[in-house]
Order: sequence, then structure tokens, then C-alpha cells
Amino acid sequence: MKRKMLVPAVVTLLHAQGLYAASFEQVFNEQRALYGKGHEFSYGGKIHTTFHPEEIEAMAEPNAANARALIDGAEALRVESAAVGYEWRGPAIYIRQAREALAAGRYQSAMELAARAKYLARMSLKQYRNAEANWQRAVPE
Amino acid sequence: MKSSCRVFMHVRRGSLLALSLMLVSQVMLAAETGTQLQRVDPEADRLALQQYYLKRFPHVPMDEYVNGIYAVDADSRKQWDALMAFPPYEFDLEEGEALFNTPFANGKGYGDCFENGGIGIRHQYPYWNREEGTVKTLEQEINECRVENGEAPLPWKRGDIAKISAYMAFTSRGKRFAIQIPEDDPRALQAYLDGKKFFYSKRGQLNLSCANCHLQGSRILIRADLPGPALGHPTHFPVFRSKWGEIGTLHRRYEGCHRDTRSVPLPPQSDAFRKLEYFQTYMSNGLPVNGPGARK
Repeated sequence: MKRKMLVPAVVTLLHAQGLYAASFEQVFNEQRALYGKGHEFSYGGKIHTTFHPEEIEAMAEPNAANARALIDGAEALRVESAAVGYEWRGPAIYIRQAREALAAGRYQSAMELAARAKYLARMSLKQYRNAEANWQRAVPE
Repeated sequence: MKSSCRVFMHVRRGSLLALSLMLVSQVMLAAETGTQLQRVDPEADRLALQQYYLKRFPHVPMDEYVNGIYAVDADSRKQWDALMAFPPYEFDLEEGEALFNTPFANGKGYGDCFENGGIGIRHQYPYWNREEGTVKTLEQEINECRVENGEAPLPWKRGDIAKISAYMAFTSRGKRFAIQIPEDDPRALQAYLDGKKFFYSKRGQLNLSCANCHLQGSRILIRADLPGPALGHPTHFPVFRSKWGEIGTLHRRYEGCHRDTRSVPLPPQSDAFRKLEYFQTYMSNGLPVNGPGARK
């Protein structure tokens, strides 16, 4: 009888683990989707916000040096994603616009555009790593 | 207290067993799908793809897949049948024949560059070129023929190259694709595997793979479009696409699809696209050439 109970217990346990062991990333993405950026939520006993790291970088003082640093960071990630064949269209466009804004002295705008580019480039690299690990799951048997 | 401890231990042991089984099954799954050079089996891939479509659309004969979405969607087929009363590629075909038969400045022609004078050979492309260690496509060899004879290469996506390729496909109609992957050259199998990996890998900001639209998404609406099945994709190229309003090559379509995922698209005839064509055409082995075609 105990053995008969074991299998459902294991299944229930695994389900429970799946339900309650949501990663920080899962919770973050859910909160971001539900409430947008800047929302506060708790995870692991701490309070977090739904800002992407790049958006936090863009909150630094709007000046030429900070804008240039953010643009350079975005460009480095864009180049990295292009090198592995996973470049998205967005980053190059936003980097170009950020450089134009920088040249025009619109530092806040330049930093926001560069942050967007950097985020997209980071996501494209994440996609590359995910595809490398999981592409075979879609192959029919 | 003791009994609850024992239950916990049982459950824990069971959890570990279940997790181990899950991990082992993942490893076995990877082995079966042939995702590594040592294990990849192109023929098993081809049969698995056919089986997938036989289950998905059980009443569609295998040879019908050369007609893309029109093989599996009755409403689209009606519109297409009406369109094909006067195929929109006919003028391009005539021009392609004239271009093919026009000698170069040195007096030679395309027929001098290809086996059998370039007639009835489409079903052998793309192929693995052992000497160059690369996949060669028909359009690539059309341009190489021009360069070898002192002519400028043609742009890859549209215009004369598509017309010449269309004529060469037309002379091969009915011949069945028989793409070879030489067993004694592992580089060929690696090229096939790279093409397979490209097909199944998600790309672009929209996070879509070729397979998402053309395998799982076959005949499922993406906004107002019904994607065609992957099986038989290369058989009807080049195509006159209503959206383009002209005839274009397979790599033009690849580039467009890649861009549509919000990727920076690879250029036509890039190494990755040629490998993709190698994989896709191998999947269509046994299906007849029916290019040029007409599509939405």
C-alpha cells in the first residue's frame, strides 16, 4: 500500500516543486509583464524592482561620459551577438539613435536609447545560449 | 515522528529516482534526435519529418507537399488554382531561357559550365563539393560560371539569376530530388547537421525558429498568413511571389524570413543559408522538382 502511495506522492512533490520553486527570473518576468518597470516585489525575503539592469544604468547622471559608457557597453554586446550569428535588428538601430542624441547633447535620451540597445543585445546572447542548449527539443522523432 | 521520517525518506528517494529518470530520458532523447555528428542520421530525420506530416495531414499524398500551403489548405488551394490558370512566372521563364541560351562575350554559355548542358539537373542541387569543402547551390554555380567566363556576377536575390535558375528548374520538372551526403566525408554530414540546427534554433527578437512557423506552425494563422509545411519547401523555387510582384530566389526568401523574426538577416548564399538549403532539400528527397512556382 505504501509503495502504491509512493508514485503519486513523488508526482505531487515534483509538481509542488515546479509550482513553488519559481526562479528569480521567472518571478521578475511575471511581475514586469503584469506591472511594467519600476514595480516593487518580494523574492527570497528581499524587495526587488522590475527595472532591467540597463534601465538602472540609465538612471545615472545624464552626461556625455555616462552616455558614452552605456553606448559602448551596448555596442560590445551587439558585436558579441553578431559574432555568434544571433544579432537582433533593434540594437544597431538604437545605438545609432543614441549616438545621434549624444552628438546633439541630449544625454538622457542617449542613455535611454543605449540602455534599450544593451538590453536587447543581452537578450539576443541569452537566446543564443538557450538555442545551443535546447534546439534539439523541436526535432520530430 | 519515526514513521513521518520514513515517509519523507521514501519520498526523497522516489524524488531522486524520478529526477534521475528524467535526466536519463533527456540524454536518450538527445541521442535519438541525432544532434551530434556521431549520431546524426539524415535518413531517419527525413522519415521522421514525413511521419510528422502524415500524422498531421493524413489525407495529403506525399508528392502534394511540393505545392506548399496549397497542399494542405483547401481555401488557399482554390485561389492558387485560379492564379495558376495563367502562371505569373511565365514571362520570367521565357526570359530565363533566352538568358540561358545567350552566349557570353567569349562565345561560351551557361551550358558549358554544367553537366548535361545545364538541362534537367536542378534535382541534384545543392550538393557537397569535396574539393572546396562546402555546399554548392545552383545559383552559386550560375554566378561562378559567369565569373569564369569573364562576366560580372549577378545579384543573388532577384532578376536575371532567378530567371535563369527558374528555366533550369523548369527543365528538371518531375525529376525527384536526390541530394547526397557522402558518407566518407564527415564535413558533409557536419554541414547537414549545421543546417538542421539552424532550422530548429529560435532567432530574433520574436524568438522564432524556421520550425516554429513551418513545422509546428504549418497551416496555423500567423496574423493573416498560413505558413506552408517545411516538407517540399525548396522544390518549387525560384518563385514568383505576389508580395514581391516578381520572381525571386530561395535565399531571398530565407533572408526575408530571417528578417521577419527581427534578426539582422544573413546575406543570401552565406555559408549558413547554403547549409540550411542542404538540410531542407535533403528533407525533400524523393519529391519531384516543380519549380518555378507561384506563391502569395
